[in-house]
Amino acid sequence: MNDNYLWDRSGEPDPEIQNLEEILGTLRYQPRTLEIPHDVQVGRRRNLFPAMAIAAGIALLAVLLGLWLSFNRRQAPAIEVKTIPPVTQPVNPATTSHDGQTPIATVVKPPKQIGVQKQREAPRNLQTRNRNSFTPTVIRQPELTPDVLAEKQQVLVALRLVSAKLNLAQRRTQGAPQLNQIRNQHKIG
Amino acid sequence: MLEAEATADMLLMTQSFTAPAAVTEQRPEEVLVRAVLNGERDRFARLYEMYAPMVHGILLARVPRGEVDDLVQDIFLHALRKLHTLRDAGAFGPWIGMIARNRAIDFYRSSRETIEVTEQMAVARSPNRTAKEILDLICRLPEAYRETLIMRFVEGMTGPEIAARTGLTPASVRVNLHRGTKLLREKIGAIAT
Repeated sequence: MNDNYLWDRSGEPDPEIQNLEEILGTLRYQPRTLEIPHDVQVGRRRNLFPAMAIAAGIALLAVLLGLWLSFNRRQAPAIEVKTIPPVTQPVNPATTSHDGQTPIATVVKPPKQIGVQKQREAPRNLQTRNRNSFTPTVIRQPELTPDVLAEKQQVLVALRLVSAKLNLAQRRTQGAPQLNQIRNQHKIG
Repeated sequence: MLEAEATADMLLMTQSFTAPAAVTEQRPEEVLVRAVLNGERDRFARLYEMYAPMVHGILLARVPRGEVDDLVQDIFLHALRKLHTLRDAGAFGPWIGMIARNRAIDFYRSSRETIEVTEQMAVARSPNRTAKEILDLICRLPEAYRETLIMRFVEGMTGPEIAARTGLTPASVRVNLHRGTKLLREKIGAIAT
């Protein structure tokens, strides 16, 4: 068998192959024109680039918005706490000690400010930004006049005295010896 | 030092070390496919002329001869509709060949009666070796040899043409042709004796 003739019809023709070609050649494709109906539409490639670009843009915006929100939440508005110095009350003659020599000075602690958050540490630039954007809310107690404060202090001292006397009476009724707590503190502790 | 420079100059002057020119030749079917996709529908007729014999051969190896011509037309119309799904424009041949094979399978699914008639005709022996008989013998060969032999003997394509159209390597086509022809000769000899 001549392989070259079988391959590309070059070289010496193989009679057997030529015979096959002649016989089978009668079944060869007879060219016909392709009739393309008018309704046949050539499919077009879908250009997905605009849709993909829009989707990518939306996704990017969502990510940026999420980052911005989380960042702002972390940097919550700082509330400034104004510390009010303790007010020392003038010595009231009614509040002198039993021996009448050493007056009891009462120190009024500043009232606790309810709803005031402790200021968190934040970078300075953010602090300035927050100051610009948010107005710090300061809860202020109603200011008391000196007379009202003096009356308040009197009531408080009276209450303390009553409390001390009640404790003393309770100890006496229970029969327990009156201990010098300061001196025996090491025994208790 | 001077010797090294001289050698470098010589190497640069030789053709093998010069930058190869960018070869951007497109295959004709690639150009045609792109043209059709760009709206030049008439260019599809050229693709039809180029590939109709191959599709005809593929179908002839699978379906009754009377059905082949209509199926060829159907396959090309289907290909025209679905041309946008072809990713590699240069692979039009293998793509339409696969469409033809699938269509042949669909043909047998839809009409089983035709199979029975064909098998009866294939089994029947006639003293005269007609084209139909030899074609039936080819159709009994393994699938790998069937299409190649029909394209070579029926459609008159050469080995390189078959390789170019089907996308097979020339070596594969050569092997298929050689082994297929050997098997066909054995079958023809067995019938003759």
